[in-house]
Amino acid sequence: MASEKSWSRNPMGLQLHRILSVFFSLSIVLPLSSPSPTMHNNNWAVLVCTSRFWFNYRHMANTLSLYRTVKRLGIPDERIILMLADDMACNARNNYPAQVFNNENHQLNLYGDNVEVDYRGYQVTVENFLRVLTGRHEASVPRSKRLLSDEGSHILLYMTGHGGNEFLKFQDTEELQSHDLADAVKQMKEKNRFKELLIMVDTCQAATLFSQLQSPGVVAIGSSMKGENSYSHHLDPDVGVSVVDRFTFYTLAFFERLDMYSNASLNSLFTSYDPTLLMSTAYYRMDLYERPLNTVPVTNFFGSVMKTIPTDSAYPGFLVARASEYTTTSAETETARAVLEDEADHSKTHTQSEKGLQHILDEWLKLLEGKFGEKDPDMLVAYGLGSMVLLAISTWLSS
Amino acid sequence: MADDTSAAAGTSTDSGAGTESNLRTTKPGTKRLFLTVSVLISFLLGAPFLLKSTEIHRSPLPSASISSLSDHLQSNPPSFPCHFQVIFLSPFKQPDSSFSLSIGEKISAQLSKESCGNCKFTVSVTVDSGSSCRHEGDADSAACLWECGGGELVDAIAGRDDQEIDELLQSAVNERTGVCAGRVYSVFVMEGKSERVVVGKYRHAWMVVKELDDSTSVSSMIGTLFGDYFMGGGFGTGEYIPVGSDGNVVLSFSLLNSNPSDWIYDWDFQRTGEGLLGPVLEALAPVANITMESQVLYHAPKSSISFWDEKLEAYVVNTRDLPFFVNSNEWHLDTSLSASGRSKVLQFVVYVPSASECPLYIRTPEGEMSKTNAFISPMWGGVAIWNPPGCSMQSQGIHSARDVLPPQELEKIIEIFIGQLRLLFGLNSNYVKPSPKFKFLASEKGFTNWELDLLYRQHTCFNLLSSLSTLQSLSTLVESLPRMIVMDEIGKQVELSLEAANLAERNISLGINNASALSSIRARALAEDAFFHPSIMSISYSSMEHYFAIYMPFFAPVSLHVLLAAVKEVKRYYAERSKYLAFRASKVKSS
Repeated sequence: MASEKSWSRNPMGLQLHRILSVFFSLSIVLPLSSPSPTMHNNNWAVLVCTSRFWFNYRHMANTLSLYRTVKRLGIPDERIILMLADDMACNARNNYPAQVFNNENHQLNLYGDNVEVDYRGYQVTVENFLRVLTGRHEASVPRSKRLLSDEGSHILLYMTGHGGNEFLKFQDTEELQSHDLADAVKQMKEKNRFKELLIMVDTCQAATLFSQLQSPGVVAIGSSMKGENSYSHHLDPDVGVSVVDRFTFYTLAFFERLDMYSNASLNSLFTSYDPTLLMSTAYYRMDLYERPLNTVPVTNFFGSVMKTIPTDSAYPGFLVARASEYTTTSAETETARAVLEDEADHSKTHTQSEKGLQHILDEWLKLLEGKFGEKDPDMLVAYGLGSMVLLAISTWLSS
Repeated sequence: MADDTSAAAGTSTDSGAGTESNLRTTKPGTKRLFLTVSVLISFLLGAPFLLKSTEIHRSPLPSASISSLSDHLQSNPPSFPCHFQVIFLSPFKQPDSSFSLSIGEKISAQLSKESCGNCKFTVSVTVDSGSSCRHEGDADSAACLWECGGGELVDAIAGRDDQEIDELLQSAVNERTGVCAGRVYSVFVMEGKSERVVVGKYRHAWMVVKELDDSTSVSSMIGTLFGDYFMGGGFGTGEYIPVGSDGNVVLSFSLLNSNPSDWIYDWDFQRTGEGLLGPVLEALAPVANITMESQVLYHAPKSSISFWDEKLEAYVVNTRDLPFFVNSNEWHLDTSLSASGRSKVLQFVVYVPSASECPLYIRTPEGEMSKTNAFISPMWGGVAIWNPPGCSMQSQGIHSARDVLPPQELEKIIEIFIGQLRLLFGLNSNYVKPSPKFKFLASEKGFTNWELDLLYRQHTCFNLLSSLSTLQSLSTLVESLPRMIVMDEIGKQVELSLEAANLAERNISLGINNASALSSIRARALAEDAFFHPSIMSISYSSMEHYFAIYMPFFAPVSLHVLLAAVKEVKRYYAERSKYLAFRASKVKSS
């Protein structure tokens, strides 16, 4: 579990630190290029469902099940990027409108509450997916659609759909190739957009999709190896299509037993997959990952950890130091506020006083200001001169 | 045309066949040759135009200067010139070189900590006690030496309180160190009855010692002051740079009403908060462009469990449950409209518990109540719990429909938030005193000048290194994709970023800390803009195969035919010409 013991200053540690620093006092030249190892700060999840059409219901259900799992274990919506290529809940062929199930017992409605889909329908493209990973968005893309991870983030990347040897099919029209994915991960690593990355792929021949990865800090698991298919788990006769895939089904079975506080390891997750039940071999690669898998809790990727440090004290004396300055500024802001309110009242009373030349003049000035307010003064002068000249000419002509 | 020539020549038209009659009486026609060859030549002439018009526009990146600056920074890391001076205001024995050397050693002990932004320091010692004035040690320039004549300071200081002494010493420093006043850190030593050390809020500290002659203890205290505090910042929480890559930070303050059916609290954050926090944000301007916003949320329960503690007579949350306190499903904090994609948002949350868990306190592992009832999460923000008054008396009828957080309580909470802001920036919220004799003065800016200097140094160094590594990766990326379009905007951003980085480096060596910090922010923002430019998508560059695939269907069949025709015509022409020449030769022979 990543919960930390309370951070407290122990004097022993201070002494030790000083002794060590005196010991190393003669070494002056220091290498600045190598950064100290970063701490794990937060968790992100990118969940991608790449297939559309009603008969690919199970891919949507896979992704939504995993979404529900990571939310239950603590990752907030603002740190989840959910990409669903089609809408099953409101599909015309859905017998249970606005409900998506991953089991024929219909116990769990995955679309029930609080589902925030970031990329929907035709927005799920290879380009958008790679933009999410590498962070190269147009300036207008809102924060909720960006992967705002930093160098202390652990990212869970889950992809499901139809795939094949070294590719994953998007929307029935495009493909994401394994070298594209490897390239994107390489760019992410160069820019330190993640500390560790867990890739889970649930497609046919899934293990080929991450075969070209080279960046350190990545662990990946696929539902089947090259030449194998991944199968769906069961058919729901009510809904009419298969509702979940085997790999995801057993993953969810593993996580249903856990909660936020548990510390089951990644190794136990990876070894829980039984090839006879899956009807394929769940292959994982950990050659790029430094930590041994039995020391990594699954909540490092699937749950949310917040490193917290209790605050020992406020900044003492701040208020005293601010006291004299504060009273003067508050007085200023008060008068500023008073002015604002005055103007509001002023405009109100103004409309009520109809009579008088003053009123007409004010209206005329306001009209002029409205018309000419935006233009710069030079243009205004030019207009004035031009109209004067015109007036002179017309009077001369008419005389 | 073919008929003409063949009719005129009277030979067979298939030139490829064996030329039995290899004589012709007229010169072979050149019209066909001219036609085909001119078409071929026009194709060949047009090829450069085609290549030019379909070439990938790549704005040239100054990769050489990037790598040279990067190497330069790696080999000579940016070191900031700091000058430390010790001024003895009471008579002291002749300070020998060992004194300043021992101080220097103590400071360089702090240097071995691997952090960015260390000082290249010089130490000088001055004894300025009215009658005599002696200097020792070195200074980077003679202008930075303390001018003599401060002997009457001791009398002026006597009997004043610490804030006034601080101001007096500051004016003395401004007078006597002249142009280096902003770069010099001073410690004033005087003799007195009660030993104390006070660190002011500018760039100086003063010590009162009983025995001036005990030079080892004096030098070690001075070394602690310079090394651990003025240069090192006093053992903060770590090196955090909570600044977005475009140099913006948004401080988002939220008041969370856990259960509005119990009570609803509102606050006047705009007036109080902006008044108190304005100077802090101004002081931090060279580090980041900080903006503030605030909101009030309802129905925002926490997600960890609290339980009743008999001894403290309150509901408590253990420190080890704090990671689960923030209920991200119900706390919709990240709703900032002003934060653009690359800014950093720091959340500061005031949590008002519901009646069923009021009063709520954080319990430390030692079993005590937390003094501030608050905690932070690095790079995220901080949470403070505020218990409404009167909830311990279980009287629930006294709350009106909507209460306002009293301004005094809000001020106290803001004090906690400033402490948390300091923690988030890597400093201590309060000072870790090496001994009870130490006292630290607080500044109305939230950070003292010497702490701000430290922040500027750290951030400048980090920004410089980060922007250069970004530029380096950008140039390797661009070079590895030779057919990727590099837009002009990217080239311009890279140039401006390099310019700002060079400017920052020059300002560092001159010792102008806030200008260098500003330029370094600009350098990093521009480098990140260039690297994350949306047009650099590797799947949209046109590879060589792509290029061929587009243009081959247009030109390959046509050019094949043109080439073949031209070759055929040229061969035919030369064959006919040789026949004609042979005829001419035979005519000459026969005549």
